[in-house]
Amino acid sequence: MKPPPLVYERAESVSDAVAILAEMEWGARVIAGGQSLVPMLNLRLAPLIKLVDISRIEDLRAFSDDGGRVVYGACLRHGEFEDGAVPDCANGMMQRVASRIAYRAIRNRGTIGGSVALADPSADWITVLIALGAIFTVAGPTGRREIHADEMFLGPYTTALGEHDILCSISLPKLSAEGRTGFYKVIRKAGEYPMTTASVVRDPATGLNAVVLGAVNRPQLRLRRSSAILAASTRWSDDVGAALIDAYGEDLAAAGRDGDPYERKLCETTVLRAVQQALR
Amino acid sequence: MLITLTINGKTTTAEIEDRTLLADFLRAPAQGCTSVHLGCEHGVCGACTVIMDGQIRRSCIALAAACDGASIVTLEGLAGDELTERLKASFVKNHGLQCGFCTPGMIISAREMITRNPAMEESELRQDMSGNLCRCTGFSGIVNAIKEAAEAHRRASQ
Amino acid sequence: MENTTEMELSLGPRGIGVAMTRNEDARFLAGKGEYLADLNIPGTQEVAFLRSPVAHGIIRDIDIPPEYRSQVFLLSDLGDINPVRAVLNHPDFRASDFPALADGRVRYVGECIAMCVAPTRAEAEDIVQQISVDIEDLPIVTDAVAAAEGLTPVIHEGWPDNRVFVSKPSSGDMARAMAEAEIVIERELNMNRQCVVSLEGRGVLAYQDRRLDELVIYSSTQQPHMIRMVLAGLINVPEHRMRVVAPDVGGGFGVKNNLQSEEIAIAALAKVVPFPVRWVEDRREHLVASAQAREHYYKMKLFARRDGTLLGIDARVVVNAGAYSIWPWTSAMECNMVVGIMPGPYKMLAYRGHGTTVVTNKPPHGPYRGVGRPGACFALERMMDELAREVGISQDEIRRMNMVTPDEMPYLTIAGKLYDSGDFPLSVSKARDLIDPEKIRHLKRSNGQHGVYHGIGWASYTEQTAHGTNEWLSRNLSEVFGYEAATARFTPDGKLILEVAIQNHGQGLETTLAQVAATELGVDPRDVVVRHGDTAVSPYGLGTFASRSMVMAGGAVGRACEELGKKVKRIGAHFLQAHPEQVELRNNHVCVGSRSVPFSEVTRAAFRHAQDLPPGEEPGLQISLTYQPESGTGAFSYATHAVHVSVDIHTGLVTLHDYVVVHDCGTIVNPMIVEGQIQGGLAQGIGNALYEESPYDTEGQPLASTFLDYLLPGFPEVPTARIGHIESPSPFTRYGVKGMGEGGAIGAPAAIVNGINDALAELGVEINETPVSPKRLLKALQRSVEKTA
Repeated sequence: MKPPPLVYERAESVSDAVAILAEMEWGARVIAGGQSLVPMLNLRLAPLIKLVDISRIEDLRAFSDDGGRVVYGACLRHGEFEDGAVPDCANGMMQRVASRIAYRAIRNRGTIGGSVALADPSADWITVLIALGAIFTVAGPTGRREIHADEMFLGPYTTALGEHDILCSISLPKLSAEGRTGFYKVIRKAGEYPMTTASVVRDPATGLNAVVLGAVNRPQLRLRRSSAILAASTRWSDDVGAALIDAYGEDLAAAGRDGDPYERKLCETTVLRAVQQALR
Repeated sequence: MLITLTINGKTTTAEIEDRTLLADFLRAPAQGCTSVHLGCEHGVCGACTVIMDGQIRRSCIALAAACDGASIVTLEGLAGDELTERLKASFVKNHGLQCGFCTPGMIISAREMITRNPAMEESELRQDMSGNLCRCTGFSGIVNAIKEAAEAHRRASQ
Repeated sequence: MENTTEMELSLGPRGIGVAMTRNEDARFLAGKGEYLADLNIPGTQEVAFLRSPVAHGIIRDIDIPPEYRSQVFLLSDLGDINPVRAVLNHPDFRASDFPALADGRVRYVGECIAMCVAPTRAEAEDIVQQISVDIEDLPIVTDAVAAAEGLTPVIHEGWPDNRVFVSKPSSGDMARAMAEAEIVIERELNMNRQCVVSLEGRGVLAYQDRRLDELVIYSSTQQPHMIRMVLAGLINVPEHRMRVVAPDVGGGFGVKNNLQSEEIAIAALAKVVPFPVRWVEDRREHLVASAQAREHYYKMKLFARRDGTLLGIDARVVVNAGAYSIWPWTSAMECNMVVGIMPGPYKMLAYRGHGTTVVTNKPPHGPYRGVGRPGACFALERMMDELAREVGISQDEIRRMNMVTPDEMPYLTIAGKLYDSGDFPLSVSKARDLIDPEKIRHLKRSNGQHGVYHGIGWASYTEQTAHGTNEWLSRNLSEVFGYEAATARFTPDGKLILEVAIQNHGQGLETTLAQVAATELGVDPRDVVVRHGDTAVSPYGLGTFASRSMVMAGGAVGRACEELGKKVKRIGAHFLQAHPEQVELRNNHVCVGSRSVPFSEVTRAAFRHAQDLPPGEEPGLQISLTYQPESGTGAFSYATHAVHVSVDIHTGLVTLHDYVVVHDCGTIVNPMIVEGQIQGGLAQGIGNALYEESPYDTEGQPLASTFLDYLLPGFPEVPTARIGHIESPSPFTRYGVKGMGEGGAIGAPAAIVNGINDALAELGVEINETPVSPKRLLKALQRSVEKTA
């Protein structure tokens, strides 16, 4: 399992990267951590001609805290969140989620931006970023623009990023001291891609309430009725659980989701347990 | 393209195909680091784990080109390293290897884990080592070896 | 004669029975192991196989760009080579040919069509991608049960249907068993298809040695001598002009215990090109095209009395053996073993087995740790638990009361196996003491809280090991593996070398065989060289599989060392002016009283100064002998597994809280290594029970071709077993040793699935399929909810 012939080029800056991508109509692809892309290359499942390495671009590894929000460079690695080398805007949620992604050796290289751009439907970060209301800054041939999380993820492996775009940074709100989060995923064995994920954020001070479900082969789903139950509750109880089950069912119906009964069960459990964490 | 790497302390410049994987570069006769084993070539099994610029990473899904300028350490380069020698002795004592194929990756990952967090209790240890697969031992000998080496390392560091 | 210190002579016993650390560890820990892919033979070119993308078809055209033609090798480019024809010596066995590279037709996804040769593997894969193969589709067969009923299109020309062989062992009075039965338990169960997954894949490197004028084949194999023997006939190279070497092998578990298409192809290729050629299997190839295992479909009937007495078993099984018959085992081995071993450790009036092996468009079957036994144990032990539930007797008691007892040993089972020794009921009681069912019963009272249900699962089994000539003959195999061979030789400076034909790939034989030598010869086991895995180095023998090496090679080494010891004593006694019967061999010395002479003096005389030998004594100090155990049906290890599990009914996930194994493998040569084998087997059994499956769609396309889909249990998934020991030496083997390498894998699927069923029994849920994935578990829960609704 060896990669096909390709050309490797390292970009020195974001504009450099955009220019290199723009040179080719197709066949040029960005590589950051490579933890998902290189396996695909080895399997010869990623047809491409040129790899543009953005992993060392300083701007993409920067982070800043501007009071209300933290802006994370797209090439920050999961391990840096795990080790607390970057600030945690969500009262520890970023650290908790990062520390359970794949394996340590993968986390040392894989980037949060790479997860977003690949948009694997089971990726741990994505429901988190949707729940937190991430704003993505993207650089492309026509300049920079912002994309909100709700507009970024269009389906499994499909994002609003164009062929010649580079994801530059992810801006997330800082939760207040009262902010609570929940993250639950169902995995059969340690380190594998989860079957389901759910991220929950509840911040009474800022009014941020979100319940987001992710599942294999499905687009992520923001569960609005479930968020309403979350917003209206302060502590978990059996009543809250019962109301949540109803709300969740309505959310699924509203989304036109049917699917396997076993999948429904798994997703329901995932949502309930994530909310339960946030309402502890 | 031309890349420069420091491998086990020795700096080397070489002409490579852009698509060359770091693992294959290390394993080739010029470098001779055959302790780096290929068990899956997609980053799951951990047999290819090396240290790059002080951190463990998979070499099977690393492009050598992307590692230009880095410092790499493989098991060959850890001979004489105190914690590595402790781990090796513990692996022997606790039957932490059978066929030996996963062993270099295990030692490198365990060493990094102990350095990062020497006081891990067993379930945490198992979670942290989940990135290294073994098909022979059923893990118990390896767990015992790591616990023993970690304890010895902790005491020696006090 | 030197003066030996008291201390040197008084070093404790270091032979059989000691938990010695391993001699082989040092080189692996230094990173100096040399596996197939590590070999550095100048001029080697790498090979990538073009493999069939479809499961069944006729090759109409292979379009190779002209610039690559000289680097591509089809079957027709390899000269005179024969297809493999692996058959049982039985008139009803349906034979088929298995060519090394496709001969016009392909029958499974991954089947080898061509070899592409280039300086690097990457370039070889580039060439593979340039070739287009035009395959006319043929109907694809994947359903084994339909195939067994004769309902599927035939995949081997000339066969009336896709059945390879039917095995119908039957014994005892089934009519009486059925008549006396007050309880009949009937179930359908199945164990899904698996891959073997050694961490190091397969691999072959071959070249012509010009100095010795021989074809040299390095292969990651468990049986070099056998490979040489069979390859010679297939590629028309005489055996004495061929050498097969197994380098360090990174795990085998049976997948390297076959003659492989790639071995034939690479060896044949080395005859027609002037440079060494190598193929290293990658993970995708392994998961798609290596020999696979399991995929059993059971219909079981258990006849019993209301008091729990087992009267009879009727076992029907269909095994999906894939498209071709692999040498030497044949497609039918797994199925025949299932019905052959089914009765397990129990007594009964009657047994009737019916095993159908079918071919389908999937990769061929080969041995994998336990072979038919994990499936047979799973089926029978599930039935035993259901019997226990039905008659209201505890799971451990139902087993104990039906087991063969130690005073009945040796016991000829209803399946015609001769159990040599053991206390099966004791393994159950000891397991019971360790697992503490009371504690789990107490936990069960909180079943349902947070959706968690606790249960306890049991499994008992016997493991036939080191079976000899009679057993292989009774299986109608074309090869008979009833013995092993060993050479023991001293060097002039007094050190011992053992040369054996088994192949060590993790079992610690470089240490345990040295321990045997230490027991016989008084040598230091740390300083004994064990050479194995090379046809140029050891006498002809059969290899490592079927848990045979310790008994067989240990027996051969023991015999050889014992014989050699007699000569050492004669020579040493001569120097000590004592009688050979008065001297002992201890710590590399021949000793009598407080006087001794070192082995180096003995060997100096034997090799360099024959004039000093006792009159009539020939020079030299080496011997080559074989060994066969006394019983043809082998030595039987056994164990009882007990596991505490919990099930989360909201996710379908299973947790293993406590795992107990009480086993007996007769005399233990090295307790540390024995425990390592149990634990390692257990990990694979856990994989079988909960994680590992190689699913195929109806087009015969594999759905798990990487570790992202094919899940292996890791550190968090495999608890450390608590192991209890019983030691009942075999009366039939040297030292009373029995084999034991496969047991952990045999009992675990049964025990774990029994545990899950025990946990969910109060919900009316039953699961009889492995692996128990969350999806299967949730579906079973859903079904029972619908039933009660």
